[in-house]
Amino acid sequence: MFHFILADLVRNRIGVVVLIILVALATALGVTVTLQERALRLGSARAAAPFDLVIGAPGSETQLVLSSVFLQPAPLPLVSPEVLAGLRADPRVEAAVPVGFGDFVESNPIIGTTADAVAMFGGLTEGTAFDHLGDAVAGAEVKRAVGSTFRPFHGNAGDVGEVHAEVQYRIVGRLARTGTPWDRAILVPIQAVWDTHAAHHHDADEAAAHQHGHEDDFATRPVDNAVLDGDANPGVPAIVIKPKSISDAYNLRQQYRGDTTLAVFPGEVLTRLYGTLGDARRVLSLVATGAQALVAAAILMVIATHVLQRRRQIGALRAFGAPRAVVLSIVWLETFALLAVGLLTGFAIGYGATHALSQRLGEASGVAMPVELNVSDAWMLAAFLIAAALVTFLPALIAYRQTPAQALRS
Amino acid sequence: MLSLAVHKLEIRYPGLPAPALDIPALFIEPGTHIALTGPSGAGKTTFINIAVGMERVRSGKVEWDGENLAAMSEGRRDRWRARNVGLVMQDFHLFPGLSALGNVLLPQRLSRFRLPGDMRSRALDMLARVGIDRANQLVETMSRGQMQRVAVARALVGRPGVIIADEPTASLDAGSGEAVANLLLDLARETKATLIVATHDARLTGRLDRILQLENGWVSG
Repeated sequence: MFHFILADLVRNRIGVVVLIILVALATALGVTVTLQERALRLGSARAAAPFDLVIGAPGSETQLVLSSVFLQPAPLPLVSPEVLAGLRADPRVEAAVPVGFGDFVESNPIIGTTADAVAMFGGLTEGTAFDHLGDAVAGAEVKRAVGSTFRPFHGNAGDVGEVHAEVQYRIVGRLARTGTPWDRAILVPIQAVWDTHAAHHHDADEAAAHQHGHEDDFATRPVDNAVLDGDANPGVPAIVIKPKSISDAYNLRQQYRGDTTLAVFPGEVLTRLYGTLGDARRVLSLVATGAQALVAAAILMVIATHVLQRRRQIGALRAFGAPRAVVLSIVWLETFALLAVGLLTGFAIGYGATHALSQRLGEASGVAMPVELNVSDAWMLAAFLIAAALVTFLPALIAYRQTPAQALRS
Repeated sequence: MLSLAVHKLEIRYPGLPAPALDIPALFIEPGTHIALTGPSGAGKTTFINIAVGMERVRSGKVEWDGENLAAMSEGRRDRWRARNVGLVMQDFHLFPGLSALGNVLLPQRLSRFRLPGDMRSRALDMLARVGIDRANQLVETMSRGQMQRVAVARALVGRPGVIIADEPTASLDAGSGEAVANLLLDLARETKATLIVATHDARLTGRLDRILQLENGWVSG
């Protein structure tokens, strides 16, 4: 029986390969949509996990999360200095770190913050945190060595920006991997960012005079956190809070949700965002399912035609003594084997494609995208295989119902 | 070798006024060699289909050694045919992609769970007997004469009690036709099988024991 099936498949190998490729690609499409969506969802949820509560100036909640968690550059309004001072003194707050952006070096965003951020993100793997204005701590994926120096650019990553020629940072430590876009960031003292940008707004003459002052003391001037506790600073676009308890988190959010500040749980904002994206995903799945249905219909046609073309052959099999059940099994096994190989190949291709895509997306965004298979995928594969088994029964039945006399009559 | 007894057999097709086959009584002695002749449309193919149990009999009896095909279910008729009948047909019905040996063994492989131990060597012997030296040659690369000889080997390897051949020489040139005819007659004699050959070939009919002439579904002779 297997001899016969194999001989037939080998004889029609070109058609067989084309069919398998068609089935595999249609399957891979569906698998990729499912896995990629899951990778995006899990990846961004994990990226947001270290950020319990984010406070910013009134505006878009989504933009606040995108900017503070995903470091997407956007001109955010600043929160007045008292807010940060108040939070730093608040007994419900374990840590409140400012997040100031605007500068880049190559594709790495430079984040102005405090040394508390280092502890909040899980500590250092080498070096020390920053003590001086000119010190910087690199994220786990920043391709710069501890001890190297750089000058920041003002503007967006990749754009032709304006170099802050007067400022130079030295990397003194490296953060542990967090799986968030912060792995690609370089942390510097917020005071240094304020300083740089203050100088930026001065007249050219004054800046030139100022520059010497910078060069002299930037690397050696210790970070003075007292300035954070008063109102003598420009303010920051966002503050990331680690509350002492869950109830503190809710209290804080309640208190800072008002006319002058915005307080959000990033996880909640993301969930809402997925609600919207969920519809897009449904559309994508529908498109994928539609494509699969079309391919399935086309393949069924091809198989039915093939079986009809083989009527004589199949009839002759019975004339020579093959029982009906054997003829049924031959046609069924042959077509099912074809679809099953296509399905399994499709799952493998889909998984591989998602891996490759996630890798590239992860590199571009800094969000680690976990490609994970779970029980529901096994069920999906099982459902596909069962459907294939049922569908291929149809051509097998055509063969079953043929009388051997037909083969001899023709 | 089996005997065939037909009793009050009548085959009608819907829409046709006259029966396709109407045989009140016919007996074929075991081991005889029968020629089945008659113009096309006379019912030769219908007779063969009935005789090997590929068509259902609704009225009358078709008994091979007392086993009535008319009373059997389709599955039982299939099993009976696999056990007792060797078929040779005008169009060979060999399966491309399989070797000569693969084709000879195919019906044996499909009709039982595993091949009897000596079946392979019997198939090789049979192929040698019909003059096919290269048992592993793919059938689609063979000449028509060789193909029909493979078909004869396939029909006989199971040692059937009945050999039925439908125009076995009609699609062959004279030389190959004669070789195949010789093989059929010799092998039927060696195995003592009952042989029924539907044919127009006068050289073949002349060498058989008895001629059944079919005319409009009636048997004479």
